[in-house]
Amino acid sequence: MDFVQTLEHHLIDHVFFQWKLGAASIPVSRLTVMMWISAALAMIVLPLVARSARSGRRTMALSAVEGLVVFVRDEIVISNIGEEGRKYVPYFLSLFVFILLVNLLGMVPLDALKVVGVRGVFGTATGNIAVTGGLALLTFLLINIAGIREQGVVHYVKSLVPHGMPVWLLPLMYPIEVLGLLTKTFALCIRLFANMIAGHIVILAFLALIFLFHSLWIAPLSVAAAMGINLLELFVAFLQAYIFTLLSAIFVGGAIHSH
Amino acid sequence: MDKLLNPDVGLIIWTVVTFLCVVAFLGKFAWKPILAALEAREGKIKDDLRSAEESRRDAEKSRLDLEAKVADLQSRTQSLLDRAEKDGQKIREDLLKVAREESSKIAEKTRRELTEEQRRLVAELRGDVASLAVGAAEKILGKSVDKSVQEKALREAASDLDAWSKAKN
Repeated sequence: MDFVQTLEHHLIDHVFFQWKLGAASIPVSRLTVMMWISAALAMIVLPLVARSARSGRRTMALSAVEGLVVFVRDEIVISNIGEEGRKYVPYFLSLFVFILLVNLLGMVPLDALKVVGVRGVFGTATGNIAVTGGLALLTFLLINIAGIREQGVVHYVKSLVPHGMPVWLLPLMYPIEVLGLLTKTFALCIRLFANMIAGHIVILAFLALIFLFHSLWIAPLSVAAAMGINLLELFVAFLQAYIFTLLSAIFVGGAIHSH
Repeated sequence: MDKLLNPDVGLIIWTVVTFLCVVAFLGKFAWKPILAALEAREGKIKDDLRSAEESRRDAEKSRLDLEAKVADLQSRTQSLLDRAEKDGQKIREDLLKVAREESSKIAEKTRRELTEEQRRLVAELRGDVASLAVGAAEKILGKSVDKSVQEKALREAASDLDAWSKAKN
């Protein structure tokens, strides 16, 4: 197995099994399962935490989650969208938590589960361009839906180009602005994907050095470097979840408040 | 490696479906109760702060009221005291004046009565002395003195007496 094959094995999605729904057969891939695990974790833990919020009992987990909720609400949503952003707070909270959990779960070496017979459940779903593309697509939809909802279709379409533009410039400006909107969300997709996959590639490359040099003496260096990158990835997992959420909020804020 | 950069449509769909499920589920069962509890607490804290501020302001106001009342009372007490003192002073002066007048009146009256009494006594005495003197003279001479001589002697004696009483006065 050469390096490229190893990389592909680790980083590229594989169809895991075919889900038979009547006549249709839906492919379920490795990264889909990883997303489901993250989603299940969030959907089990957070409602449990919310239960103590409802009963008024202060627990450590509730305080931690409340810190996150207050941060996302005040620093990400309201400071970038304004008071109208309050109804989007649950979306951004879910976005942040989902990306963060997928990022973090990708760092857990679930390959090790093969000793108990669970094979092939591993990988960072946010290190796949389709996953980040799907999330960016939802952000793109949210930008436009929020813009139309707050301003009305006509006003929103008008607000796409800067106010007071000469009429003869409009045929030029509209494609540019729409392209800008697409580019912004495309950059969102690429940023998360590249950040999450880069660390994995570097870690694999460091570990591959051992096999490349056919020497055990290179191992301490490789492991130390891989560990350093791992720590960096841990930081990046939080950072990129924050950046994706923050930029989504900024774009939505821009669509709601025409300039 | 181009597989790495080719998005798989199936995975995009799975991402969207999974994430929307997460949004719907967490929105209903996690974020809604947590946000509600949070906002309730924040509202309560805000209310508490406001009511604390209000009661602080109330306390300040009643303190100022009380202070004003105390100052008012003090000034009123002071003015009452001043007036009482002035009144007392005046009454004392009046009383003194009346007493002085009264005493001087009594003294005057007494003096007048004494003078009157003295004059009466002098007149009485003069009559007595005159008749005594005449009687004594008649006895000495053994005969009645001529009326004109008698009168002349009497007048002289009276003027002597007058001079004596004047000198005495």
